[in-house]
Amino acid sequence: MEYDAVVVGSGPAGSVTARFAAESGAKVLIIERRQEVGVPVLCGEGISKQVDDFKVLKGRRWIANNMDGARIFSPDGTMVKLAAEMAGNETGYVLYRDIFDQELARGAIRAGAELMLNTCAVNLLKENDKIKGVKARHFDEEIDIKADVVVGADGVESKVGRWAGMKTTLKPSDLEICAQYTLTNVDVEREYCDFYLGKKIAPGGYVWIFPKGNDVANVGIGILASLSKPGLATSLLDKFISSHPELKKGEPVRFLAGAVSVSEPYESVRDNLLLVGDAARQVDPITGGGLMASIEAGKIAGETIGRAVEMEKFDKEMLSAYEKAVEAAFYKKLKRNYMVKEIMLGFEDKTLNMLADSLKDVKFDEISTFGLVKALVSKHPSLLMKLRPLIKAARV
Amino acid sequence: MGKPKAIVERELCLACGGCISVCPQDAITMIARKASVNKENCIGCEICIKTCPVAAICWEGN
Repeated sequence: MEYDAVVVGSGPAGSVTARFAAESGAKVLIIERRQEVGVPVLCGEGISKQVDDFKVLKGRRWIANNMDGARIFSPDGTMVKLAAEMAGNETGYVLYRDIFDQELARGAIRAGAELMLNTCAVNLLKENDKIKGVKARHFDEEIDIKADVVVGADGVESKVGRWAGMKTTLKPSDLEICAQYTLTNVDVEREYCDFYLGKKIAPGGYVWIFPKGNDVANVGIGILASLSKPGLATSLLDKFISSHPELKKGEPVRFLAGAVSVSEPYESVRDNLLLVGDAARQVDPITGGGLMASIEAGKIAGETIGRAVEMEKFDKEMLSAYEKAVEAAFYKKLKRNYMVKEIMLGFEDKTLNMLADSLKDVKFDEISTFGLVKALVSKHPSLLMKLRPLIKAARV
Repeated sequence: MGKPKAIVERELCLACGGCISVCPQDAITMIARKASVNKENCIGCEICIKTCPVAAICWEGN
């Protein structure tokens, strides 16, 4: 089997990369170790409406619900409402993530990419140290897939990068581990995604409630791995649900675990190889959201592969055009948000309560950064010291 | 007696991949959609055991 590019993983990053590579004329194969694209879902299922700008999805079957904004609850229950009118990017969709992934894969296939299910990459194919493709297992059969470019779109546990000698191992303080239910029979008919903060609620992370329409919600938790104990994510989530009247009557129709990096982005390019999406740590370290980054990076990666095929040049220098373009597109934001995450991890619950109390009546749509800081500090002057590093980070 | 090793209880594992991403020894691999510890490489650091959101990893023999 010979291709221009073999993409390991059929998540959003892999499918979008494959689509744009195929559209620019490359012969592309996606391999997926699971038997169904998008299943099991490993996600909170929220995405910004900016996804529409990329025009990579047909129809609306993947949308469960429209969201007008977010509500953030501090440890003592003080609510800060971020409404739609504040900033376009606060509005979003709650997804059926399995359908979402399958629609993206369909886009890749329509563009000419091939997809092989039940096919697990087990190593890189090398000749004299040069990457020549991947070795994979398809049921009991070992197969060699030759390709000029190997794309590691193999998610948070990416092995492709490690096989190429990249140090992609995460520190436990740079990993959020998640558990989530799809609950039915809950009382959450509203247009807001809710986030709950607090050391006792979700150490180093948050609990989310994303309404999926009618009496269904995706309710989950992310906690920092460095603050975790065996099974803590699940037990804290159960505790949260049983103490919330609107959720208590709910019954799960699905239970899932997940993991997402909250690190700085890593190197993503070698000769004949690139990483994209969670594998390249292209995830917002504050929210743990990675869908938009995966789609944006996938488009750039696919187009870069197209040009590489055209020029018949696949070395690091050529593929670095991808890394440079994603850096320019959103790494600055990821790096800034990583600093913010590190600072916020040091905040006591008391500080978060003060912050929420200062922000709860602020009209976000009409306030400047200076006005925001003034509102924060005039109510709780001691916040100034705590926020100084944050304000510094925001300037970077 | 050597250091204790981590082991995955396959029926509990939900294949989230968290343990694999933090293993400093690259000793964990997804095999047939479940995480699996390669005992040769495991140094018993306990990171994966603490990380697992569903308590599917424990010390071998326990």
